[in-house]
Amino acid sequence: MPGFDFSNYNRNAALHAQGVPLPKATSTGTTIVGCIYDGGVVIAADTRATSGPIVADKNCEKLHYITPNIWCAGAGTAADTEFTTALISSNLELHALSTGRKPRVVTCMTMLKQHLFRYQGHIGAYLVVAGVDPTGYHLFTVHAHGSTDKLPYVTMGSGSLAAMSVFETQWTKKLTKDDAVKLCSDAIQAGIFNDLGSGSNVDVCVITDEKTTLMRNYITPNVREQKQRNYRFKRGTTAVLNEKIITREEISKYVTVHELDDPSVSAAAEKMDVDS
Amino acid sequence: MTSIGTGYDLSNSVFSPDGRNFQVEYAVKAVENGGTAIGIRCKDGVVLALEKLVVSKLLKHGANKRIATVDRNAGIVSSGLTPDGRHFVSRARDEAAQWRKLYKAPIPTSSLANRMGSYVQAYTLYSSVRPFGVTAIIGGWDAEDELPVDGMVGSGPSVGSGGKQEGSKKGGPSLYMIEPSGLYWGYYGAATGKGRQSAKSELEKLDLAAGNLTLEEGVKEAARILYFAHEDSKDKEFELEMTWISSKDGPTKGRHEEVPKELREEAERLAKKALEGDEDDEDTKMEE
Amino acid sequence: MQPTTGMLGEDGIHVDMDHLKKGEVNLGTSIMAINFKDGVILGADSRTTTGAYIANRVTDKLTQVHDTIWCCRSGSAADTQAVADIVHYYLGMYGITNDEPPTTQTAAAIFQDLCYDNKDQLSAGIIIAGYDHRHGGQVYSIPLGGSLHKQPYAIGGSGSTYIYGYCDANWREGMTEQEGINFVKGALQEAIKWDGSSGGVIRMVVLTAKGAIRHLYLPDNGYTGPGTYQA
Repeated sequence: MPGFDFSNYNRNAALHAQGVPLPKATSTGTTIVGCIYDGGVVIAADTRATSGPIVADKNCEKLHYITPNIWCAGAGTAADTEFTTALISSNLELHALSTGRKPRVVTCMTMLKQHLFRYQGHIGAYLVVAGVDPTGYHLFTVHAHGSTDKLPYVTMGSGSLAAMSVFETQWTKKLTKDDAVKLCSDAIQAGIFNDLGSGSNVDVCVITDEKTTLMRNYITPNVREQKQRNYRFKRGTTAVLNEKIITREEISKYVTVHELDDPSVSAAAEKMDVDS
Repeated sequence: MTSIGTGYDLSNSVFSPDGRNFQVEYAVKAVENGGTAIGIRCKDGVVLALEKLVVSKLLKHGANKRIATVDRNAGIVSSGLTPDGRHFVSRARDEAAQWRKLYKAPIPTSSLANRMGSYVQAYTLYSSVRPFGVTAIIGGWDAEDELPVDGMVGSGPSVGSGGKQEGSKKGGPSLYMIEPSGLYWGYYGAATGKGRQSAKSELEKLDLAAGNLTLEEGVKEAARILYFAHEDSKDKEFELEMTWISSKDGPTKGRHEEVPKELREEAERLAKKALEGDEDDEDTKMEE
Repeated sequence: MQPTTGMLGEDGIHVDMDHLKKGEVNLGTSIMAINFKDGVILGADSRTTTGAYIANRVTDKLTQVHDTIWCCRSGSAADTQAVADIVHYYLGMYGITNDEPPTTQTAAAIFQDLCYDNKDQLSAGIIIAGYDHRHGGQVYSIPLGGSLHKQPYAIGGSGSTYIYGYCDANWREGMTEQEGINFVKGALQEAIKWDGSSGGVIRMVVLTAKGAIRHLYLPDNGYTGPGTYQA
């Protein structure tokens, strides 16, 4: 029958009645920062994505493209930061096309705040907006409820306190590009090492008048080392109490059996996607 | 009217080759047959007056008022198709109410005229509608004093607001006339309807721009001018309807109201006398 | 139990002052505006908080909605910014369509319209102050429920509770500009001292026939400077 299928509703209601909780959204317990310097603006982020106490992704991307000259760092609900930035990016491209001008950072910030305000905080996107436009270098924070701030250096996410302590002690009025990149990556590392919700690597994005440079995994302070010991047990460690052999012919009655060419490959059917 | 029958007069939204909108011109014709309506902007108020032709002896005398109040401080008189005038007034009231809802204050007469001008103009654009068969005169008094915000509590400092600059007072009387095309101007004296030509020439004689005419004189002049303009259709009976608006310190206390019966009757008596006087003059001249 | 709506407490009468959505940015604030001899002065602290964390220590809570009509914002940062943005748009349109700048009354009326109509959704306490040649300086206050009060001076935000006595004792009508600045600064210093949710720098805007002049006073030097600059 055409139309919507509501059969899962009853299943979900039944599960809920049995006390099964709703699945948790992945949140980027995060450290994101931004800093203006003489000649441009830098934003940076850690790369840990969490789902409750579980690290959902060890190397995710929290720096989002808006336009070539405007980028966003996102904290909060991963799906919300992803879709909100994508939506505004799309609208801003159309806006730039219709006005025939380069998009401005305030325009981006206003579109974000009006979108988020309309959803009264239910879209859990906490963003650092940075960019360069004909009016200068700009840096904003946008909170999920739709409030904004304009500051020379900003931090957001669960690691924002650790990161802010770096800015409040090391920030100076005159900064070079290298100074700003160092300051931002140090602030992110403060988040990575001192905040449980943040971790893994540092992503940095530098926006100048001329160009935007995304430095993915600019610092990787948490490279997986080779294990010191091998925890494999030797064959025969456990005694065999009984044994029953099922032949291939017997099991073929129930399932399809394929012969594997290479005995070292355990499951050739599907390879899992892993971020490189 | 050589263009009649060429088809360019059948629809709004279609120009004739020489750039005219015939539907609007026909609407003006409808106005030209209506009872004369005038407005006078005096130094301390505005008078609106209408020559209401008596279409039936069965109509109650003094009932069926045609000059409408739009907001406390503004009134409208129109000439032409009466139902169109009613709809126009209804829209003007909506505009005034909408303004009050947002700004918590009465609408300035200029803004009311502007909005009504835009509304009338919209009826010249589409083939699905016809233009308004009325020319409307809007009279209003914009308060010169500071107006409180409706619903506000308190009154600020007891010594009054600081930093006020003398001579930046504003407000006062205003008069606008809107035509079926949506065109509108601000006037010292405005006239429309059947007797507009003679009414206009009489208004011009008053030198209203000098700003000497008082409201009470204005009422009497308005009555006289309408009686004078009625001369051309003497055989038809008419009723004189008059309203006025003064400042807060004047007789209407900033409101748009009907001119009191005594004053109106006095004005009518003087108007008739002035006409008889004219006739007497003419009589004497003829005798010579 | 009777149903409760919006920000009303369980008794259905009293307003829940602490009504903020979880994690929402709050302007735990000290704001004020006063009339003086030549116009009005607006003043505010600069602290923005999320719970116990200071999200911004140099916030500008004095927001321009027209050339010489400004407002002080308190309550939810998101709500007050949204409301101020809408009023900014309305007053801009008013200036264009009516060929004359809007009055402070107009601004106050629009603020009230928004704050009253959406009172169940908003937590915004706003003070409006403006100057125009015809009406001089005026101060209006719109507290939580959306009522509108014209006042000689207005104080607001969490820090204002500590300075009712100070203001009442020190208020005089028709002060000079310098006296006005000292009054505002003195009051806000007290509010900042006693209120944990207020702090940072003191910002002011002076609105007179000369236009808008901004003032900034830092805690580093006991709120003595640096002083003024053109807004």
